[in-house]
Amino acid sequence: MKTARALVAIVVLLALAACRAANDNFGFPRGAMVLRFASNDDVPTLDPAAGYDTASWTFEQAIFDTLVRYGDADVELHPAVATSWEASPDGTTFTFHLRRDVRFSNGRAVTAADFKYGIERVIDPATLSKGMEYYQEIAGSADFAAHRKPHVDGIETPDPYTMIFHLSGPDPIFPHKLAMPFASAVPREVVEKWGEDFSRHVVGSGAFKLREWIGGERIVLEKNPGYYLAGEPKLDGIVDQIGVNPELQWLKFESSEIDFPEVIPPSEFPYVMKTPALRALTLHKSTVTTSYLGMNCQMPPFNDVRVRRALNYAVRKRKLVEVLNGRGVVANGILPPNLPGYNPGVRGYDYDPGKARALLEEAHFPRDLKPALWFRAEQTNEMLAESVQQDLALVGVQVTLKPVAWGPLLEAIRQPHNVELFMGAWEADFPDPENFLSVLLSRDQFGSNNETFYTNPEVEKLLKEAQPVADMKQRYALYDQAEQIVIDDAPWVFLDHPVSYLIVKPWVHDLVMNPMRPERFERVWISRH
Amino acid sequence: MLAYLIRRIFFGAFVLLGTSIITFAIAFMVPADPAVAMAGAKADPHTLATIRHQLHLDEPLYVQYGDYLARALHGDLGRSYIRRESVTRLILSRFSATALLAVCAMALSLILGIAMGLVAAAHRDSAVDNIQLFLSLAMVSMPVFWLGTMLLIAASAFTRGIPLGGLAGWRSLILPTITLALGSAGYYSRILHTNLSEAMDQEYVRTAIGKGLSRSRAMIKHAMANALLPLVTLAGLDLAGLLSGVVLTETVFNWPGIGRLAYEAIFSLDIPLIMGTVLFSALLIVIANLIVDLMYAYLDPRIRLEEIG
Amino acid sequence: MKARANAMELVGAAMVASLIIVATLAPLLAPHDPTRAVANSFGDPWAPSWKFPLGTDELGRDVLSRMIFGARISLEVGLAAMVVTLTIGVAIGLAAGFFGGAVDFVLMRFTDVMLTLPGLLLAMALVSVLGPSLLTILIVIGIVSWTSIARVVRAEALSMSQRDFVLAARALGAHPRRLIVRHVLPNVAPTIIVMAALGTSGTLLLDAALSFLGLGVPPPTPSWGRMIEEATIYFRVAPWLATFPGLAIFYAVLGFNLFGYGVLRRRTR
Repeated sequence: MKTARALVAIVVLLALAACRAANDNFGFPRGAMVLRFASNDDVPTLDPAAGYDTASWTFEQAIFDTLVRYGDADVELHPAVATSWEASPDGTTFTFHLRRDVRFSNGRAVTAADFKYGIERVIDPATLSKGMEYYQEIAGSADFAAHRKPHVDGIETPDPYTMIFHLSGPDPIFPHKLAMPFASAVPREVVEKWGEDFSRHVVGSGAFKLREWIGGERIVLEKNPGYYLAGEPKLDGIVDQIGVNPELQWLKFESSEIDFPEVIPPSEFPYVMKTPALRALTLHKSTVTTSYLGMNCQMPPFNDVRVRRALNYAVRKRKLVEVLNGRGVVANGILPPNLPGYNPGVRGYDYDPGKARALLEEAHFPRDLKPALWFRAEQTNEMLAESVQQDLALVGVQVTLKPVAWGPLLEAIRQPHNVELFMGAWEADFPDPENFLSVLLSRDQFGSNNETFYTNPEVEKLLKEAQPVADMKQRYALYDQAEQIVIDDAPWVFLDHPVSYLIVKPWVHDLVMNPMRPERFERVWISRH
Repeated sequence: MLAYLIRRIFFGAFVLLGTSIITFAIAFMVPADPAVAMAGAKADPHTLATIRHQLHLDEPLYVQYGDYLARALHGDLGRSYIRRESVTRLILSRFSATALLAVCAMALSLILGIAMGLVAAAHRDSAVDNIQLFLSLAMVSMPVFWLGTMLLIAASAFTRGIPLGGLAGWRSLILPTITLALGSAGYYSRILHTNLSEAMDQEYVRTAIGKGLSRSRAMIKHAMANALLPLVTLAGLDLAGLLSGVVLTETVFNWPGIGRLAYEAIFSLDIPLIMGTVLFSALLIVIANLIVDLMYAYLDPRIRLEEIG
Repeated sequence: MKARANAMELVGAAMVASLIIVATLAPLLAPHDPTRAVANSFGDPWAPSWKFPLGTDELGRDVLSRMIFGARISLEVGLAAMVVTLTIGVAIGLAAGFFGGAVDFVLMRFTDVMLTLPGLLLAMALVSVLGPSLLTILIVIGIVSWTSIARVVRAEALSMSQRDFVLAARALGAHPRRLIVRHVLPNVAPTIIVMAALGTSGTLLLDAALSFLGLGVPPPTPSWGRMIEEATIYFRVAPWLATFPGLAIFYAVLGFNLFGYGVLRRRTR
């Protein structure tokens, strides 16, 4: 009798599980145009003030609007909610003119106040936003953050459809910061209603709205009928199944259960590239990322430039790219290929273990030293780290690997005399060399993003000179000079610039990859199949 | 019997308390500043200090522990550092997937274990018995994660219909269940075999067989009941072991349960979530033990009589 | 009294011995350096061939050599962790069984608490917090595994301590430590040997699990569990990469289990 009851319970549980999975069109009517994909990890958040990763931004872009945005496939500024904008001659004031026909999905009209609210949320320390630093140049942000003033004085809204930003100093690339999801229009009443749970109940003015989010299982977006651009979005809905590992995503892709996997699993990649039919379905983009091995320029023996150059000669970068199955290009310098201002003619380091050994000799590198190579614990990183470890062993440098969680890693490498070697990667936040050179290699970023504690007065001078320059040709020339000096100083071993690949079913159209942002879905459509 | 129960409940509570202290101690050994984890590395010292204050990190340890305990008793296990969500909600949302898997695996391992044990006991001391012994040992010796991976490989090579991971319809249960169940099945089959043999050796059973009752009928009629009970209670007490297997199985098959949640939490050093999952598992084990105690109390007349005497 | 050694015991002993031989003679037996790239199979593991009988992995390393050296680290960790486990378990079990009373009560309650914590989770958390290194792993595995040994030893020590001669000796004022070492321990010893064998199979599995989860001994030291973890992304194109290391773990664990159960069987027959 007891067993009978237990059996019934099991059957009921199984039936429930089957029911949930059997609901295949996720609530959309038959024949609806639904884009289906899957991801391994749950989306961290949908709150534009909080999100700072690919998954969050993918959805935030679809649900919220910003004043300006990038094109689907480029990193130039296009109008979004702002129809036009001007900069003052001294580069400290920017004026934006807004459309009048934008509405949140709850019906309310979007005005300048909503953008101001969104940006103030980011600046407010209580929100713990990771985008805070990008808006600190707006005048009055410090006072607002310290609660001395109720609002950021530097954001003026003379009327509901005009916004004027006053900056504390000239910054020609400020409008790019308004293209980040941090600067989305956010409805105050919804945030106040949900408080910390706003992320689960987001309301925006974008092309899509959140239909449901079952943690660990799926996120479903549906078309926002009130979207201001007629004819967009073309899709009726988007479904992201969560918690599906890359191998399973691949199988679902093969069986057409999803339209594209988050990534092509490393083990399938060679097969895909060798099969013309599959290769034709791939898209790729060179990301604006540089992967590097950071060396602490203040800790011996890595404070000796000969040692740093030796490591550059010792690492076999082409092998790295092969281990990644071709999903990268060798890095010779700091700036990645798709970044405006990139100089393909920089003088880097070739693979030359002989030279490496000679330099190490010259610098009297201590043979019994076993420096630890710290990196974020993750499969690809582990492979890269092991590959580097292999190469360095050949020139007599024995490194021990130290995989660490993200939080402790960051803390550790930011302390001045703590970590000698670490694997790092930097993806540009905006399309300008400043975002690499100043952020990663200048003195005022010690204890922050300059984890190699590198500094060179000549480079500092050039960086300061270049920052306010609005003439792009001049600007890039200055940054060029700075980059070459840094390369010669070799605070990093320049590893590679990752290239990402996507594979998409042939019935999905107009899905394009962007160098700096996740794919946008407004113009994607699906043909009958 | 009531007194016995109350004693056991108190005992369980005490054990949970001890568990919470150990868990808390581990959480504080973590060499990471939670404020950095939450605010991101680019935050300035003032912001970090504010966050630390909000999270009560600037108070003495015993105060923090007391706070945590008080909130935990109300079901509030804090907020995940990485996911910004309530830990309790995260755990409860993933619990059903693990429960489903665990129940199915337990059922399969009991069925398999009992079958194997019966067969071996029926053919005691023969070649079949020895083969079964070897088989059980083999099942117990197989690393769970390797078995899972091998099943994945086999399934992907030879069939198309079985999903290879994630919770997706009843077919996706097959591989993880087998993976999780096999080790326990081997273990239970040996236990049953031993118990059955002991029961069969009892005087009254031998007498019955001597009087003409067939061995198999004797087994079923007399021995099974006595042999089964210890086995089922053992299965209940083995929950801790099952949970370890669950972590590995859920990782291999990307099953959205608490095992994988714990793994993710540990890897991102998400302290509240780590503490929450460990405490929750401990709670499950304590409850399982209590249920087993209850069953024993109900079935073992000595305990019931204790109250009267 | 001493029964004939049975087949299980012998087979198990042979398996364990073979492992020890491979581990000891690893530098002689392995055809290549297990950490060096000896083939250009970067990102594209090669199938088994004459040159590389078990194939090569994604960083160009010979799988056979890695398996052989893997035996080394597996045995090192497995046996050393077992020693730690035994030390803790025997110490606590003896103390609880011999002294009884309050000591027993406190130690057993502590054991109960440890039993309620899921072992693997606790081990993962500890290694993650303390950082993976050989020493950490030994200690952590020990911390997580001592409970079953403690219980068994306690039971035996308890029964031993109730024996007349022990009680008498205590009444006469004999020092407890002397009694434990000279009388209780030798009688508990055979049990300890069995538990050692079975315990090693447990520590081996736990170490393999931790390595699989990325919390084992760090690279480039080849460890079987880690080899499986690295192989999972190649499971479709290179299934052998995950198969062989797993077989090795299975072989090792089975060997210790067979030996342990064999001895147990002999003693209880």
